[in-house]
Amino acid sequence: MSTIQAQPPLTRRQQHRAWRRRKMWQYKSIYLMIVPVFLYFAIFTFYPLGLGLVQSFQRVPLIGKATYIGVTNYQQVLKDPIFIKSMTNSMLVGTTSLLINLAVALVLAISVNEVRNRFSKSLIQTATFLPYLFSWTVVGGMWLQILAHNGMMNNFLALVGLDRLPFFTSPVWGRPVILFTNAWKQAGYFVVLMLASVVSIDPTIYEAARIDGASRIKQISYIIIPQVWPTIKTLLVLGATGVLRNFDQVLIMNRPATKDSIRTLLLYIYEEGITKRRIGTATAAASVVMVITLVITVVVRRMARYDQDASY
Amino acid sequence: MSTKLSDRPEKLPKANRNELPPLGRVINAVFLVLIFLIMLLPMVNVLAISLSSNAASQVSDVTLWPKNFSTEGYTFIWNAQNLGRAFGNSSFVSVVGTLFTVFISSMAGYALIQRELPFRKAIATGILITMMIPGDLTLVSIFSLNKALGLIDSYRGLILNGLVSAFSIMLMRNYFLSVPESLAESGRIDNASELRIFLSIYLPLSLPGLAAITFLEFIGKWNSFMVPLIITTKPQLFTLPIILRQLTQPTDSTSGVVQIYENARMAAIVITVIPLLVLYSFAQRFLIGGLTLGASKG
Repeated sequence: MSTIQAQPPLTRRQQHRAWRRRKMWQYKSIYLMIVPVFLYFAIFTFYPLGLGLVQSFQRVPLIGKATYIGVTNYQQVLKDPIFIKSMTNSMLVGTTSLLINLAVALVLAISVNEVRNRFSKSLIQTATFLPYLFSWTVVGGMWLQILAHNGMMNNFLALVGLDRLPFFTSPVWGRPVILFTNAWKQAGYFVVLMLASVVSIDPTIYEAARIDGASRIKQISYIIIPQVWPTIKTLLVLGATGVLRNFDQVLIMNRPATKDSIRTLLLYIYEEGITKRRIGTATAAASVVMVITLVITVVVRRMARYDQDASY
Repeated sequence: MSTKLSDRPEKLPKANRNELPPLGRVINAVFLVLIFLIMLLPMVNVLAISLSSNAASQVSDVTLWPKNFSTEGYTFIWNAQNLGRAFGNSSFVSVVGTLFTVFISSMAGYALIQRELPFRKAIATGILITMMIPGDLTLVSIFSLNKALGLIDSYRGLILNGLVSAFSIMLMRNYFLSVPESLAESGRIDNASELRIFLSIYLPLSLPGLAAITFLEFIGKWNSFMVPLIITTKPQLFTLPIILRQLTQPTDSTSGVVQIYENARMAAIVITVIPLLVLYSFAQRFLIGGLTLGASKG
């Protein structure tokens, strides 16, 4: 004869677990809905990340098994002058580019905001925003043509009696061309976002400022810029992650003469890993860049106190 | 070009419109006209060259109007250089990829708004982390992965890489949050499945969001360059960006002995951007809306 034993009362934790199990069962179809996302990120994001990390410690021959060789790849990469050059290029050009784009966009947003004619306003916005939708193969191809020796720019210079400029045949012009075309393509996107916050300023604030006799410069620096500042911070934080990730633009726009002065880290990794099939050094370089990118992201977020008002 | 990026009703009398003084207005206008020309002239130049004849397109000049108007650049590049095939490839891969991406991303976005879902925070964090990982840095491993999965030189590979985007998931999540939860509750009382609630309540009420991610994803896939560059070697599978890149590289062009005139190169560029221009002209409201929301909350 068996006696029914009194169940000991459940602890809070057990209660919570039981509740969670019930909920999980109840939500089983919801979990099914995230399965594709889960699989995708596991295979196409996290697996390559792990694989890269592992291979950075290996010698990976084209045929046959990979062998562990410790930190040799890292030593090799950090000693490679081309890697160091790519690092300075990326840092310098990436940061300058981001700052130029933000500054250009801010000036443009303030300037466009002064336009009262709707048609002109939308025309200039459309013109600055459109190239943002184009790929670098398009924008790069356009400027390779326009700045070529017999392209529109040089033909214009020749027409007004000036010398043709070696935009793609002299290392001096490498970086300026990259910075300019980057601003040409990307600044319009920043303008849209900044204008969105400029436009949300309550018009009565201007009214009050004018009654107090605030000049236009004062209105800009005390009303408009503080209003746009959070947007600038967001763009700075988002942009900081991308500083070391320029690839498309330099792959398309480099020419033998300018390559060394504009080669970015991603181009270096591509050349090492894909073109030369040196998987070990390429993945080691990628890991180094990954760590630096994470550090930059964290530092910039801290500096912008971005996480405080993040919504997640 | 009827843009509605940022206008607010302007019915104020002239004195109250907070206008610049006359001199300031002139300076501002000159500045903006200059910017406008810097943006527009390159595009006009490319279009004009593309519509010039073979010989005329090679002449050094400031071309802002077609010289010896001709479409021979277009016919040459479309037929002889196989741009038609690339256009088809790009369209197929972008359309199919976008459909899958939009469906998968919005399903995940729906999962993320279930407040009582166990491990919801962990799942959301995992998705956000993928946004922080600079995926393009792993390009070498992505090549190895695609090789191992047999995705090199296949449409499957071109579609699968980049099929899920954390950005779109988060964007859809934000749109779903504005759907009243009572609607989902009433659906549950009627014993509707979650998939049903998602499909027939949430999706129809989030059409602007759906439109935004559809267009943004399409543009992203249409412009996708690094992945096709790494995983395709056969010309039959080349997408437009790959062909464009070849056309603009003087050293390693695959054209061999055939000379490609400037008008043909520029025609390829024009053909590539036409779908984007069409899309922009009728979907800019959603595009801008999605981009603004994405940057402020993503």
